[in-house]
Amino acid sequence: MTNFLELTTIEWEAISLSLQVAFWSALLCLPFAIFTGWFLARRHFRAKFLLEGFINLPLVLPPVATGFILLLLLGRNGLIGQFLNEVLGIKIAFSYYAAVIASMIVAFPLSVRSMRLSIEMIDPAYEEAAKTLGADRWQSFFRITLPLALPGIISGFILAFARSLGEFGATIIFAGNIAGETQTLPLALYSAIQIPGQESTAFRLLIIAVLFSFIAMAGSELLVKNLHHRKNKT
Amino acid sequence: MTALSINIKWSKDNFQLEMQADFSDGITGIFGASGAGKSSLLQLIAGLEKIDEGQIQIGDNILDRSETKQFTPSHKRRIGYVFQEGRLFPHMNVRQNLLFATKYVRTNNQQFSLNEIVKLLEIELLLNKLPRQLSGGEKQRVAIGRSLLSSPRLLLMDEPFSALDTSLRRQIIPFLIKINQKLKLPILVVSHDLPDLLSLSQQLLLVKDGRILAQGNYLDLIEKDLLIDIMEESGLTNMIPFKIEHIGKESFNLSNKTNKGQINIKRSTPINHFEIGDEINVSIRPEDIAIALHKVEDVSIRNQLEGTILQIIKHGNHTYCLVDVGFKLLVTITETSQQTLNLEQGGTVWCLFKSMALKTNI
Repeated sequence: MTNFLELTTIEWEAISLSLQVAFWSALLCLPFAIFTGWFLARRHFRAKFLLEGFINLPLVLPPVATGFILLLLLGRNGLIGQFLNEVLGIKIAFSYYAAVIASMIVAFPLSVRSMRLSIEMIDPAYEEAAKTLGADRWQSFFRITLPLALPGIISGFILAFARSLGEFGATIIFAGNIAGETQTLPLALYSAIQIPGQESTAFRLLIIAVLFSFIAMAGSELLVKNLHHRKNKT
Repeated sequence: MTALSINIKWSKDNFQLEMQADFSDGITGIFGASGAGKSSLLQLIAGLEKIDEGQIQIGDNILDRSETKQFTPSHKRRIGYVFQEGRLFPHMNVRQNLLFATKYVRTNNQQFSLNEIVKLLEIELLLNKLPRQLSGGEKQRVAIGRSLLSSPRLLLMDEPFSALDTSLRRQIIPFLIKINQKLKLPILVVSHDLPDLLSLSQQLLLVKDGRILAQGNYLDLIEKDLLIDIMEESGLTNMIPFKIEHIGKESFNLSNKTNKGQINIKRSTPINHFEIGDEINVSIRPEDIAIALHKVEDVSIRNQLEGTILQIIKHGNHTYCLVDVGFKLLVTITETSQQTLNLEQGGTVWCLFKSMALKTNI
């Protein structure tokens, strides 16, 4: 029994890599998601539905397709990848960074959704009041909008983190399944299922995946609830 | 002195606004029905909306001029705006709300300190509370304080009374009068409630359908027969400035001295937020005043003021008599009494009213 609960090096690596990739992708998503969320919440223009459609694309597109698009763009012979490789000597595809980027892209729409929702709930009247008190647009954004949207921002971060933890399709295409470098928890789980005799590894990883996902989602729900609570109180 | 002059054209959706006016450095009441353009006017002055044509200037400082495409963004105008609902920032306590603007004011432009404002508005005990823990009147006071601490050159107030019930309205008025008198800050107050507005100021700007109907002193507007229609709806009233002579624990005394006599009022209620020497407006309805041709000795009415009839105003079925008793007093009379007493312009009369008919509004 003790043997069953003991994690192998590869399993540990997969877990720690997953947490790292999820953390970095959620964090790097954050500024873009906040800005896009703010833009969608506060700006009104005719072509908004097009932008919304584009941003939400990774939400419904098969992750494998997203991974393939990334490969076409950032792969060694890709549109941008070729330039990065030849001019700057940077190879992105099939690296740790590729895993982070794949997760970022897939998690982005979820993150934006959460930011937008929380910013939409903030009455623009407060920003107007801040302006009459001498704050310019940025100052009122950082002192009024951002703090008021904080629960939504944290919940958006957790959502992106959770989505990254579960990311599989885009990662395996764009980053590959390299143990210790790009083999995150879902990929390790997939490999374990593929190889006969690895059932106990698969089962351990499964339990950990369920646990992580549950904690993240419950935490996010709790924060959203607090946000509503706060809104109703004021 | 002219504090603010505007000459503006603006339209939004189907609403058109065209106004030209100069404002003094006192308190000006902007009165009109809802939808008349009062709030739009304030937003244009504050730079929250942009004028289509014309010019807005404070003193010699031009804020907006359409010809040269000049526009000053609101955060650079130094115009305070007290919103109807207060708009206190919910994530900051009262102190943080009050100090919000001080970061953006240069030290040498700082007109008031936090302590002064807190004392003036009597909000010492609220400093550590959150906006949601405040009553309507407290919120309003904090919002005023927050605006003042941005060291504005002009204060705009949008319906400051509407969120407050009657007793709280009376509480806000003395603060505004103090702010104007002690801090020398011009104030524009928008309201659709004339009696409230008049207890603040007799300088009015009448607005209707995006245009200015008239501007001037309340009684001058009545003389020109511009206000009576509007006033008859909300109740015609006289506003008389009184000085506070004495403040006791459970009472206070007011007086009004003119070259023609003196009226004293004693009320047995406590008075808060005022000091001796402060001026407050006392109202009396024109129908509560009687007119006699001589001083009446054997009567219980103590307040009898001699005056000259300035004008007889006939408006619809009503006749009004405007009498100068050191200040102008509007009196309702019947046509019969006008004929039997032979009241005419220039005649000398005595105005009689019971002390209890004077409403101190506090």
